[in-house]
Amino acid sequence: METETGLPHRSWWTPYLFLAPGLVMVTLFSLWPFVNTVVLSFTDAQILRGGGFVGLDNYRRAFADPDFWVATGNSVLYLVVVVPCLVLLPLALAVLVQAKIPGIGFFRSAFYTPVIASAVVVGLIWQWVLRSDGLVNTVFRRLHLVSEPIPFLTDSTMLLVSAMIVTVWKGLGYYMVFYLAALGNVSATLHEAAAIDGAGPVRRFFSITVPQVKPMMLLVGTLSAISALRVFTEIYILGGESGGPGGGARTLPFLIRQVGLGFSGETGYACAISILLFLLTLVFSLLGRRLSKGDEP
Amino acid sequence: MTRSNPTRTAVVLLAAGTLLSTTACGLSGGGADAKEARRTGEVAGEITFRTLQLKPTFTTYVQGVIDAFEKRYPEVEVTWEDVPGDGYNEKLVADAQAGALPDVVNLSTDSFQLLGDRGMLADVAALDGASAQEYVPGAWEQFKLPGKGDSVYAYPWYVTPEILTYNRELFEKAGLDPAAPPTGVEQFFDYAERIAASSGGRYSAFMADPKGRLPGDWQKMGIPILSEKRDRFTFDTDRAVRWVERMKDLYAKGAMPKESLLKSDDINQLYGSGKIVFGPGSPGFVKDIKKNAPETYAKTQVAGAVTGELGHIGIYAQSLGIKKDTRHVDAAAEFAKWVTNGPNQVEFSRKATIYPSNARGLADPFFSDKGDGKDAETLARAVGADQLKTAALDANTPVQWTNQVGDAVVREMQKAIKGEQDPRTAVRKAQEAANKLLAAAADK
Repeated sequence: METETGLPHRSWWTPYLFLAPGLVMVTLFSLWPFVNTVVLSFTDAQILRGGGFVGLDNYRRAFADPDFWVATGNSVLYLVVVVPCLVLLPLALAVLVQAKIPGIGFFRSAFYTPVIASAVVVGLIWQWVLRSDGLVNTVFRRLHLVSEPIPFLTDSTMLLVSAMIVTVWKGLGYYMVFYLAALGNVSATLHEAAAIDGAGPVRRFFSITVPQVKPMMLLVGTLSAISALRVFTEIYILGGESGGPGGGARTLPFLIRQVGLGFSGETGYACAISILLFLLTLVFSLLGRRLSKGDEP
Repeated sequence: MTRSNPTRTAVVLLAAGTLLSTTACGLSGGGADAKEARRTGEVAGEITFRTLQLKPTFTTYVQGVIDAFEKRYPEVEVTWEDVPGDGYNEKLVADAQAGALPDVVNLSTDSFQLLGDRGMLADVAALDGASAQEYVPGAWEQFKLPGKGDSVYAYPWYVTPEILTYNRELFEKAGLDPAAPPTGVEQFFDYAERIAASSGGRYSAFMADPKGRLPGDWQKMGIPILSEKRDRFTFDTDRAVRWVERMKDLYAKGAMPKESLLKSDDINQLYGSGKIVFGPGSPGFVKDIKKNAPETYAKTQVAGAVTGELGHIGIYAQSLGIKKDTRHVDAAAEFAKWVTNGPNQVEFSRKATIYPSNARGLADPFFSDKGDGKDAETLARAVGADQLKTAALDANTPVQWTNQVGDAVVREMQKAIKGEQDPRTAVRKAQEAANKLLAAAADK
């Protein structure tokens, strides 16, 4: 049967047919695990032990658990410190490497290298840089700047700071590429007009470049906030499996792994913390969205 | 029917399906309710045999053992599957949850405890009690579980005893006699203190990581880990506090590398590069160091494991469990017994740095040969075997000392060793946390 346009008639469900494979995949690998996590968070399930419904017990336990609050505090601190760095520093880097000068391609690639390197390799390199007898402490001691090695990895706060440095270092190149794309869309005529009006490079940067790349800054802010709340590898590699001395540098993903992993893993409780982390991430994502909406014309 | 109705119906069905599948799969408890198999005397059928990372190095050996068994019992067909070490336990859990455990399965200490405790393994003492006498004293009993009477849930396979490895040259530099290594935990600490005092920070004595030392050190020192009923932890004692005080003091004096408190250091690398005096206490390590750091190997000396007042040593044991509801229990039991018999275990031990749990196997002259007494690898084998014959095998981590318990205790110890909290508080808080976890597990 043909329609007036001469194209074969399609039923109302034809578009859904095209959507079906994707829908099935999303259901199987995203929706179902998510729903499963929500359901399990209301049970006392353990590995190999089906759990019974316990209502809000796991959530109540989380709110009364000092470890949960330490991990939440660390995750939020991570976010508060890392996100501004990852919004501003890659922009500065992108502005620097945007210049069309011979050999700049090398620097763009070099700054991107940490992004390609595996998190484990990055962590190990930094471990050798920051340990008591590592590069930084050896240099500092030779220069007589310190008498005792700085406990970059054996003090919880210092460990958290070290992990943040690694996260920022690894994320610089990644977000730099985002900004390079955004900077490419900034009209050169605006800069030329401003230059004719007597605006210097700094004035042009703040008055033209920044407003033009602001949507990208908000996107980078949202993405880096989500990444910051999910940080695990840096802490694990630098601070070992206990998450720093006494577990003082544990973030929420670290705590989830610790609670839920192993043969005695408490699946239900780990799921409840996962849901709380999800809600925290959602809040920051919505915040980012709201900020970006306010920016729209 | 309007367009919106089928869409709505589809969404509802999808959501319902998701929830149903969640309930069905996510909350099921696996095969804990499986019926116990009973022997019939008919050794026949197809069985699956899973090993832990034996391919390709030991393919010929394992296949040879299987072929010989199938020749002896032509009615049996063994399907061998080998699984990599990474994620082995996770795979076991997934299979157990899906009711798809192999008929005969290689279990490490922790996976044995979990599956046995969850009622997923056959009681081999009930199936085949006469086999007990074939294994070294204690090995058979090692696969009993607290509160489960005389039941034994796996056939002992190969074992690795703890020994002492140390760098002879650094020992001498510290003014210690390499011929008189430490024999007890307290003496070990004394030696470490001396090493720290004389090394000038160039090398340390041992790794600080409390996870690697607990509960072993406490058990060796005679500190009661559990109450007699094994229903609560009882390690909050003066002796445990003294252990923490000593560790704290030694850490401050540089007897351990600072970062080793967090287990982020590689002990093989540190020992191989001469930065640490005491290496890991396993005979397999000696073989590795011979291959990877020959210079350090030449300076390596081995001795009997450091013990305590009870004379216990730690033993890492592998076993073969039988799926509780296997369809071919006779074939599975005979096969597990075949793999763990004396000749097969000895042959395996000649190819790998392991020891038989089988009494006849361990009596083989191969294990008493000390060579000229100078080669560390040969000596390690003899020392390890000697310890296995006589040591009580009950110094292993109890089932109740789960990962969560270990982590909770280690966190408090780390704080105390770093000087962030006093040792007595650390031990008290560690016991409180451990008992809380134990009580929570008992409630479920």
